[in-house]
Amino acid sequence: MWNSKRLILAHFWFAFAGFGIALLLGEWQMFIRSPLAAWISDPDLYYRSVTAHGTTMAYVLPTLVAMGFGYFVTEQALKRPMIGLHWAWLGWGLAVLGTISAIVPVALGRASVLYTFYPPMVGNAFYYIGIVLVVLGSWIWVALMAVNLYRWKRDNPGAPVPFPMFATVAGAYLWGWTAVGAALELLFQIMPVALGWRDTIDAGLARVFFSWTLHAIVYFWLMPTYIAYYTIVPRAIGGRLFSDTMGRIAFALFLVAAMPIGIHHAFEDPQVGAGFKYLHSVFTGVVAIPTLLTVFTICASVEIAGRLRGGRGVLGWLKALPWLNPAMLGTALSFVMLGFGGAGGLINMSYQLDATIHNTQWVTGHFHLIFAGAIVIMYFVIAYDIWPHLTGRALGCFGLMRAQLWLWGIGMIVLTFPWHWVGILGMPRRMAFYDYTNPALASLAMPVIMSVIGGAILVVSGALLFLVLLRGQFAPRSEPEAYRFSVAVRPPHRVPAALNGMGLWVGLMIALTIVNYGFPIAHAIATPGTAVPAVMVGERP
Amino acid sequence: MTDLVSQPAPDPAAEHAERVEHRWATFAVAIIVLLVAVATFAAFYHTAVPQARVETVNPRTLHLAGEFIESNLGSALDADGSVTVRVIGEQYSFTPSCILVPTDTPITFRMTSADVVHGFLVDGTNINLMLVPGYISSLGARFDAPGERLMPCHEFCGVGHEGMWARVRIVDKAAFVALATRRRRLSCVE
Amino acid sequence: MSEERVAALRNRWFTTSIGITAAITLVGFVVGFLWLPLSHPSDRFRGAWDAICSAAGLLNKPSSSEQIVTANYPTTRVEVIPHMLDSADAVSIGRGATLALRCTMCHGARGLSQANSPNLAGQYPIVIYKQLMDFKTGARGSAVMAPLVADLTASDMRDLAAYYAYLPRITDSGTGRSMPRIVASGAPLRGIAPCGACHGEVGAKAGAAWLEGQPVAYLHTQLEAFASNARHNDIDEQMRNVARAMTPQEIDAASRYYAEHP
Repeated sequence: MWNSKRLILAHFWFAFAGFGIALLLGEWQMFIRSPLAAWISDPDLYYRSVTAHGTTMAYVLPTLVAMGFGYFVTEQALKRPMIGLHWAWLGWGLAVLGTISAIVPVALGRASVLYTFYPPMVGNAFYYIGIVLVVLGSWIWVALMAVNLYRWKRDNPGAPVPFPMFATVAGAYLWGWTAVGAALELLFQIMPVALGWRDTIDAGLARVFFSWTLHAIVYFWLMPTYIAYYTIVPRAIGGRLFSDTMGRIAFALFLVAAMPIGIHHAFEDPQVGAGFKYLHSVFTGVVAIPTLLTVFTICASVEIAGRLRGGRGVLGWLKALPWLNPAMLGTALSFVMLGFGGAGGLINMSYQLDATIHNTQWVTGHFHLIFAGAIVIMYFVIAYDIWPHLTGRALGCFGLMRAQLWLWGIGMIVLTFPWHWVGILGMPRRMAFYDYTNPALASLAMPVIMSVIGGAILVVSGALLFLVLLRGQFAPRSEPEAYRFSVAVRPPHRVPAALNGMGLWVGLMIALTIVNYGFPIAHAIATPGTAVPAVMVGERP
Repeated sequence: MTDLVSQPAPDPAAEHAERVEHRWATFAVAIIVLLVAVATFAAFYHTAVPQARVETVNPRTLHLAGEFIESNLGSALDADGSVTVRVIGEQYSFTPSCILVPTDTPITFRMTSADVVHGFLVDGTNINLMLVPGYISSLGARFDAPGERLMPCHEFCGVGHEGMWARVRIVDKAAFVALATRRRRLSCVE
Repeated sequence: MSEERVAALRNRWFTTSIGITAAITLVGFVVGFLWLPLSHPSDRFRGAWDAICSAAGLLNKPSSSEQIVTANYPTTRVEVIPHMLDSADAVSIGRGATLALRCTMCHGARGLSQANSPNLAGQYPIVIYKQLMDFKTGARGSAVMAPLVADLTASDMRDLAAYYAYLPRITDSGTGRSMPRIVASGAPLRGIAPCGACHGEVGAKAGAAWLEGQPVAYLHTQLEAFASNARHNDIDEQMRNVARAMTPQEIDAASRYYAEHP
């Protein structure tokens, strides 16, 4: 029944290989712009590095992890071979080809536009073609998730869709739709310029399109992590999932509310009307609800594990938890980072507070804490959990795993807390160097050095990840027992049809996107004279 | 362990769990409603609001005609006593590169970009705007105390981005008004 | 067990989820498009419809009776767009070569100056075109150039630009001086981006000149002229902003570097 082991391993290895390189670039960036290094003689090297780091970490790592984990869930949760294995390999190939196509011009200094593109600056066409290929590869995955669910439901009429599959398909649909914004920007705005067919571009419209993708993409990154919270962690620590229904509601809410909120990234932009900014900030509040529900359900599930292990009293169950288990440790660290990051996110959500920190180093700190911290640490937990089932070899070194997770959690805090602080002080992000000798910036020097240290801790943690996985590759063969996902305290015998399929939620997602984005986009397209001359980067005479 | 899994309904434990769950869900919704309400009332009481109007401008011809020609940039004392500051961002400087503003005066920044996307931030304040070519960004502000503040470009705008810093000098209102009687557009560019 | 229909009014999930979503959207619209804009008298909306249109993002210029202050010196009238004069044909280059005969005294037979006037060989066409136009309109003052450009048409200027752009640049003498700090890094907190960010070593910007191999005296004079506002034909003061903030030592270092670089 199990025919996609190599496929899944290929996804994870490619994701982690890119992650390893980008991690080193990130730490180099931290160092080069800190007071520890002399000003870099070619600032473009720094911007190339930022572009490569962001492109790999934002587009390649999470996409490949989501795809690989999605294929894993499909087979393990539906308990039958996945349909469309050849298509899945094609998707992987497109992602690999796209990554290479994107990174080569970046390395050559032909596309230092950062991963957020920033038209009217336009770089080499192959950079954008590469990104489009990665997205196309991931859309194949979206389609395969849909097909597999559809066929399973056809063969099992009325039966509840296994929760891991429900959540995975929700994530796939979210990505399929949210990627459309950036795809429109790339295909209809940037690529015609990059290929030389046009020489003007509407920068304001491009920012609106990108915001369509920019926020919901974070929830796409989050999906594997949340799926792991619900479907791996309770089982791994010997507990039960508190509520299957609440889990389904949380994922359905993500689908609905993650999309129509992106314009909060454009609060300080001039091209969007104030009314739409307000509307998006309201829905940005709504999207916090499924996270709050998740926090409750997972804490309750963990408490069940603690009590099943003999924990007593109001807090006694905490002591009874299996803290030496990597899944437990990873989840705890992830929750700590999610807590701090989420609190920061509520600040970004309101126009008034956002104005203080918009585009400062605070923002970098915020999304590193949420994404690189809370989310990526669970990618490690997922890998540790499923690896023995993919390789048929046990991952024995729990001590190393714990060290790796601890270092990741600590490193991320040491990295991002100073970033938040200097952001409040007004330090702009993404600059190749700063003049710390100036009294106005001198106070930034110490926190910046601290985050260099945080980055170094993360590099050590990254090295340990590879050590653990490579040692696992060379461990003796051992047939692991059948893979299990968490079981709910009360496994559903019947699920309301609305929570057994995506139709209603996808419908609401698309409807809200049209309501919240339709007019700003249509208006920008219809307004004459907003296209401005493109500025090609990376042309050196 | 298994007894937890397959308990027959109705079941007091299940009902209790459901009650707790509902209570938490209600609480979560209440938190969010409160946060959104706080932000709304802050906007109502005028602490900071997004610009009220969308305006376009042609970035290629800023220097030829209109309010962004170089002689019209800088701070203008308006008839009603407020001050309008016009600024251009371009690769890789702001014009004027030193902005002069008075204390205790309503100030409107009107800004735009001549080429790519730039960012406008006054350190230590909540003055923060994106400059997008083709559009005019505007923002109301008020400074309480005299002093000098840094004004970096906070959005990546090309390979010289790290060198794009300007300054804001805040002077006493009376001194500003005195200067404004002699020149119609003020800045602290020397 | 057959599945119930989701898209049906009898299905409470369907009606509740759509109802809540619609309610949130409606409240968002009413507050964001009507209540908040109208609660700000300083925005001076002409009624509810005006407020709604503005909140939606329809173009809406605030009324202003304020006068625009014009400069008491001529400024450049040229629009600079990336790549605007890049495609020149042989006819244009030929015409440019004929027109250039009048320039050889100062700028050399092949666009390489023996005096302290700038080398024009291999210069970007947009730079040549813009400076000629600015000499003609008086945006850039020069007692020498003004009479020479007086009878040139825009088309003549494009031909000259094409011709000089076509001539080979001065070749690298291989001195390999390392970049001074002002060229490689600028001086961030004085608002000086690296010279090389626009002038070729690190990056390029449309309208910025090719400087390498220009006479040191010429570069020096121009930087000082920008700093003192004696030269003011740069668009939006982009070069004056930089030159004003440079120290005499930096002006010296940058001029020398570019003069000696090729």
